[in-house]
Amino acid sequence: MDVLTLNGITKYYGKICALNNVSFSVPEGSVFGILGPNGSGKTTMLGIVMDILKPSAGSFLLLGKPSNENMRRHIGTLLETPNFYHYLSGEKNLRIAAEIKGKGLDQIDDVLHKVNLYNRKDSKFSTYSLGMKQRLAIAAALLGDPDVLVFDEPTNGLDPVGIAEIRELIKKLALDGKTIIMASHMLDEVEKVCTHVAILKMSILITAGKVDEVLVNEDIIEVGATNMNALELALNTLSGHSGIKKQQDFLQILFAKGTADLEKVNAHCFANGVVLTHLVVKKKSLETKFLELTNK
Amino acid sequence: MLQLLKIEWLKVKNYRTFWILSALYLISIWGINYIVFAFQHKLYSNKDAGDVAKLFLGGPPFAFPKVWEMTAHVSSYLLFIAGLIMIISVTNEFSFKTHRQNIIDGVTRKEFIITKLICGLILAVASTVFVFLTAFYFGLIEQDSTLSFENMQYLFYFFLQALSYCWLAIFLALLFKRSGISIGVFFLYTVILENVIMLLLNYYTDTFGRYLPIQSSDELLPIPVLETVQGKISTNEVNTTLQLVLVCVYLAAWFFLSKRKFETDDL
Repeated sequence: MDVLTLNGITKYYGKICALNNVSFSVPEGSVFGILGPNGSGKTTMLGIVMDILKPSAGSFLLLGKPSNENMRRHIGTLLETPNFYHYLSGEKNLRIAAEIKGKGLDQIDDVLHKVNLYNRKDSKFSTYSLGMKQRLAIAAALLGDPDVLVFDEPTNGLDPVGIAEIRELIKKLALDGKTIIMASHMLDEVEKVCTHVAILKMSILITAGKVDEVLVNEDIIEVGATNMNALELALNTLSGHSGIKKQQDFLQILFAKGTADLEKVNAHCFANGVVLTHLVVKKKSLETKFLELTNK
Repeated sequence: MLQLLKIEWLKVKNYRTFWILSALYLISIWGINYIVFAFQHKLYSNKDAGDVAKLFLGGPPFAFPKVWEMTAHVSSYLLFIAGLIMIISVTNEFSFKTHRQNIIDGVTRKEFIITKLICGLILAVASTVFVFLTAFYFGLIEQDSTLSFENMQYLFYFFLQALSYCWLAIFLALLFKRSGISIGVFFLYTVILENVIMLLLNYYTDTFGRYLPIQSSDELLPIPVLETVQGKISTNEVNTTLQLVLVCVYLAAWFFLSKRKFETDDL
């Protein structure tokens, strides 16, 4: 069953279109990344699902049904920024969240341990650093052990150790069979933890599907020789690749993922009278892939 | 509903601003009455001035049963503080974005706004109870005064006015979302602007000024001295029933406008 189904969700802020006819589904048990640059409509989309924004058009289903407040109680959500009462301690803030959800009151210490915030639980929220605020928000989302978690930029403001910890936590939650919907502008984050991805750009859904299908990676072999013209000629007879690109000092040979064979390329060039001075496998960076996708 | 009020209680329980403001508000209700009480006491205890005062003002205003009316009237000047407390309660949610988080965590929009309106109701009831105690106290310490619960309807009028202030404050807070502008507009409107509009309306239309939102409840709590003089200079009797109906209409308006606004807005 699909946890979330969007049907033609459209949202205008005045004349500005924030989401344009976006439709996709989030399968149960997936770690679903919503990828897009700043201002592409990620938060707006999640805000609509959480009933804090009203869509201009379109509809959505949660767990196959129209949403209501009771469903929201079973979804742990961190949206955009950590929203807490500044004058209350971390623990008291979690208490309010647990009272609203109607569950998780006995898990407050537990979730504070999970995000490494237990020793600061009695400090006022206003004294927390950005990273601590973010971790408190994640702790609040974990209250009541929800089956679906929605994280909007969960590693925002965290230091590298914190980022690694949260990613581990998300992976662990996914292993526990929870469905996780995660908005992010960081590609490696999506690549590292997500099973599915939807890519948004300027209010439009570009593509959605499994990560290894959407973000198909190519292998690249970079070669160089003293005589570049001879090298180019020699490579014309090379088979099995999907294209050759000229760079400043090297040539790039593109292969489908997992089919790059350095030995074969080296042997081919040598057999054609060209001695390589440079031979290296390069994974295509996701960054490049992302730019390609969003520049379509 | 009890659960929602409990959550609201958790929000204010450790909120120092709320407790300091509330304490000062209650002390001031007693204080402003004490100022007036001390002043009139001096006036009436002076032999010559006292006679003149009795002639023009009638009997001592803090004696039963007039004390109910007097204290309700005097205390009503402080109701903007009750409004201030409600504005802070609503705009805090906006500035911390906790109104969003509350909805995300599973409160409905309707529940959220109704809870706030009920908090306004509770504050109005608490204010009225305190005004009752204050009136009771001054009535007792006033000499030549025997306990009487006549004219208690003025406490009910006070309650209606307190509720008008609280709900108007909530509506303005929802409209402007930021505390500074909400407080500014609320103070200037209730203290100055409405009185200006009232005077203008009264100048051009005779009595229409008394139908303005806050003034319509003000009319229920007139200055309880100088009635004899007032009766001579003013030709228009206040129609209590009409004013009561108007107050209820305005209260219903603040209630439904607030509810509609919070239920349909992007938060």
